[in-house]
This record gives sequence, C-alpha cells and structure tokens, in this order.
Amino acid sequence: MTTIAAKPRKRMSPRTRRQILVGILFILPSFVLMMTFNVVPIFLSLFYSFTKYNMASPPQWIGLDNYARLFSNRVLTESLSNTVRYVLITVPAQTVLSLLLAVFIAEHMKNRYGSLMRSVIFIPVIVSLIASATVWNIMYQPKGGLINQVIEAFGGKAVNFLGKKASALPSVAVVAIWKNTGYYMVIYYAGVMNVSADVREAAIVDGATPLKRFWYITLPILKPITYMIVTLGIIGSFQVFDLVYKMTGGGPGRATYTVAYVIYTFAFQDKNFGYASAVAICLLIVILLIHLVQTTLFKEKDA
Amino acid sequence: MKKKKRISPWVGLGIVLVTFFAVLCLLPLIYMVAVSFTDSESLYIKLKDLRPSFYNYWYAIVKRDFGTALKNSIITVVGSCLLVDIVSAMAAYGFEKKPVPHKEALFQGYLATMMIPGQVVLIPMFVMINRVGLTNTYAALILPMVGAFGIFLMRQFMVAVPNELLEAAEIDGCGEVRRFVSIALPLVQPALVTLTIFTFNAAWNNFLWPLIINTRSEMRVLPVTMSTLASNSTTNYGMVMAGATLTFLFPFVLYIFLQKQFVEGIALGGVKG
Repeated sequence: MTTIAAKPRKRMSPRTRRQILVGILFILPSFVLMMTFNVVPIFLSLFYSFTKYNMASPPQWIGLDNYARLFSNRVLTESLSNTVRYVLITVPAQTVLSLLLAVFIAEHMKNRYGSLMRSVIFIPVIVSLIASATVWNIMYQPKGGLINQVIEAFGGKAVNFLGKKASALPSVAVVAIWKNTGYYMVIYYAGVMNVSADVREAAIVDGATPLKRFWYITLPILKPITYMIVTLGIIGSFQVFDLVYKMTGGGPGRATYTVAYVIYTFAFQDKNFGYASAVAICLLIVILLIHLVQTTLFKEKDA
Repeated sequence: MKKKKRISPWVGLGIVLVTFFAVLCLLPLIYMVAVSFTDSESLYIKLKDLRPSFYNYWYAIVKRDFGTALKNSIITVVGSCLLVDIVSAMAAYGFEKKPVPHKEALFQGYLATMMIPGQVVLIPMFVMINRVGLTNTYAALILPMVGAFGIFLMRQFMVAVPNELLEAAEIDGCGEVRRFVSIALPLVQPALVTLTIFTFNAAWNNFLWPLIINTRSEMRVLPVTMSTLASNSTTNYGMVMAGATLTFLFPFVLYIFLQKQFVEGIALGGVKG
C-alpha cells in the first residue's frame, strides 16, 4: 500500500509531463466509473434524504422531516431490533465455528483428509444467496422438508421453521452461518499457518496442554484476524437482504424485516425515495461507526 | 513433532466433529441435486422416485426462462470480468508507475468507498440509470462492477513489476501501451486470475441490483429468475431445484479448477466476497 509519491521536481521536463498525462489517462476510466457509481451517489443519497421524492416529480426539499420520522416508525424500529438480533446470532456462531475448525485442522489434520475437509467446508461460500435460500426453503418445508423428515423419523413433530415468529429469524441466520463459516475459516487458517512452528514447539516443550496452548498462544496471536472477521461479519450481517427477500419476504408479520429489506420496500415498493435515503444514510453512519471502533481497537493493540 | 503416535481420543473426536460439519455443509447441496432428479410432487421422496432424467432441467430452461437467464448471466459475467480486469489493471499501473500528482490522496479516496454499504448508493444509481435510459441493458449490470477492491488488489501486485524492466523497454523504443500490455500485464497475471474469480462470483450472484434495474423478463439474470420462479410454483420442487443446481454449477466448476486461487485470494485480500 505504501509507495513513494512523485518527487517534486524543480522544472518539469517534457518527459515528466508526458508521464503525468499518460498516468492520468490510465487512471481515468476507473475515475469516471468510481465517481459515477461510488462517490456521487453518496452525496445524492444525502441530498435525497432531505427531500420528498418519488422520481415522478423533482425532489422537494423538506429539511429534516424524514429524519424526524425515523424513530417513531414502528416498522423501522422493529427492523432495527431484528437486524441486531440477526447479527448477534450469526456473528458469534460463524466466528467461533470458523476459528475452531481452522485451528483444529491446522494442528491435527495437516494431511490430505484435512485439506479435503477444508475444501468441502468452503463449498457453501460459492453458492449464491438466492440459490441457498431456495434450497433451504425447501429443506425447512413443514410438510416433508428434509429437516422435518429427520425430526419425524425421530418421532418429533414437524416444525414450521419459517412460518413461526420465534423461529423465522434464527432459521434465516442458520443459512448465513452455513454459508459464511467456510469463508472465515479460510482467513483463520491462513493466520494459524503464520504462527511460527517455533512458538508452538516451544510451548509443547514447556509442557503446555493443548487447551492452554490454544488459550494463551494461538488465540492472542489471532486477535487481529478476529477483529477483522468480527467487523466484516457485523457489516455483512447488518446488510442482510437476499436471504430475507427470498426466504420469508420479511414475514411472518414483520418478524424478519431487516434494515436493508426496509430500505428496499420503502424505496422500490412505496416509491418513497427520500425517506428510504434517510434510512440508508443512517445505515451508513452505523457502518462507519463500526469501522471506527475496529480501527481504534487496532491502534490500542499496536501501542 | 509428528511421529507415528496413536491418535488421542480427543483428537479422534475432533476429527469426527470436523467431518460431521463438512457433511452438514454438503448435505443441502446433495439434497438439491437429488430433488432436481425426481419427478415427485411431494417432498417425501423415496429412492424409487429418483430417475436419471434431465426433464426438470429441460423444463426449467425451455419453459421457465432459465435459458434466457443463463444467457444473460453469462454475458453479464464475461462483460464484468473483462471490464473490471482491464480498468483495474490500468488504474493500478497508473497509480503505481506514473508520477501523477495527488495520486495517493485519490487512491485513499478509492479505498474509502469500500466501506460504503450497497444500499446507500442504490437509490441514486437507480435514478441515474433510469435518467440515461440504461434500464434493461447489460451495461446497467456491468458498469457498476468496477470497485476499489480490484484496483487495490492489482496495485499490490503492480509494485512487484520492476521499474528497470519498463525503463529498458522504453529505451528500446517500446510505446506506453505496449509496455503496459506486454510487460506489466503478464507479470501481474496471478492477480488477474484472482480478480476474475472475485468478479465472476460477484456478478454471477448479484441479486438486488439486477432485480430493480432489469425488470423486463428477457433481461433477467439467473438469481432473479430463480427468485420469481420458486414463488410462482411452489410445488414443482424438482424444477426449482434444477434451477438452483444450474445456478450453482458454473461457480462450482470454476472452484474445482481454480480452488487454490479462490482460497489464496480470500486469504490475501480477504475484504469483499
């Protein structure tokens, strides 16, 4: 990431000037696309959030009205609490699972079988969210879905996983955990492999038990990775959309409305672009705060 | 440290648990493929319902627009990969090898955009694309695929391209474009492969943006067709699962052949999936 910036010259030679021009031409396509699709839209979003806008007529400035109506909106507060619950289910589960898998495979299964297991656990990562949602929807079916067939085979009663308010959100979360664990395991695994063999052998010579080694050596060394994985996980889970859209459509009732889903419905079903933008700007602020917390934690660690 | 010693019962238990988890990872996909080969209307599938017939696939592709969606997805993915590779490599070359003023500030600006959640730019993008009349086009799906991650990744590798080599080529009378194409690009090829994999997956699995911007049925991509199809005919499980299998198949084949690059790419840049 660090590079030597162009040294200031007393007088630009024609060659330098030409180099600058060529450089600009090389950067230009990315600049145009990044501006159009990544930078300008943020400011437009901010602008829309102060307006009443539905695309049929030009945006109408209404100041802070949209923001004032945010917290009195039951749909929004419910979706926020659902999203937080969803984050609290997915992030700890996928982080702990991926950590344990990576460490165990790295320590005890450094053979072809272990690498096969790693490959298999990674496969759900490449399944699209919509395909995952479709398959799990059918597995969750109350009548004859795979999971309920297993439950019935053991003499239990079929559960309507996605149809019950209490179980709908956790059932969606399970799909996310299934899909994400392999991804984070790969990152953890690379981290564990970086722990030098010397450190581990020294610990073994010192007679540290495997549990102590894990707790006092592996875990502290993996701390930066854990910070990163937790941050990525929170941000990813905070924006859950595809799974909810396909699996429950926000239901039953509003039990699985999430922030991203609410933005979608406000904007593209109610055509309330101004209000939806205000919600989106709040989402942006939350995500920037999460980043901020992570970077400060990192700094503390370095000091 | 690893001699031929007996596996302790705890380690044995661990191996069993890892295996169990791996089976759980695979099970939904096995189930998906199995159901796609049955013609049962109910989900209580017996072994005798399984048949090696591609009827469900034929039905999904011909009768349920999966053929169109497949075509659209492939065009979008190929276009996205080409655009992202070319634009990112060019930008990385400019940033790394040319004395452009204020380039580091601009680069930091690029990196900052990686923190922006998709929902924030969605509405303005929707309005813009509508205004310029690009709805229901491939361009609407392809152009926004360029992002900071690709440029960042390419730049990490562009550092390793020796300046001496580029200078020597310049003295030999090699033009700017040729230096980029015949010297820089071959040297960053591994990064291009990684970036192509990332872009392939992102474009192939992209859902929300295609859902809102390409609404005409002949311009839908696979995940969008998938989502409409399953809600219209909930009982035809075989056909739905055939569609899901088709959607899964292409990234899976890519994964089988390029597994190392997949995993290394994530471990390396590990930012966006």
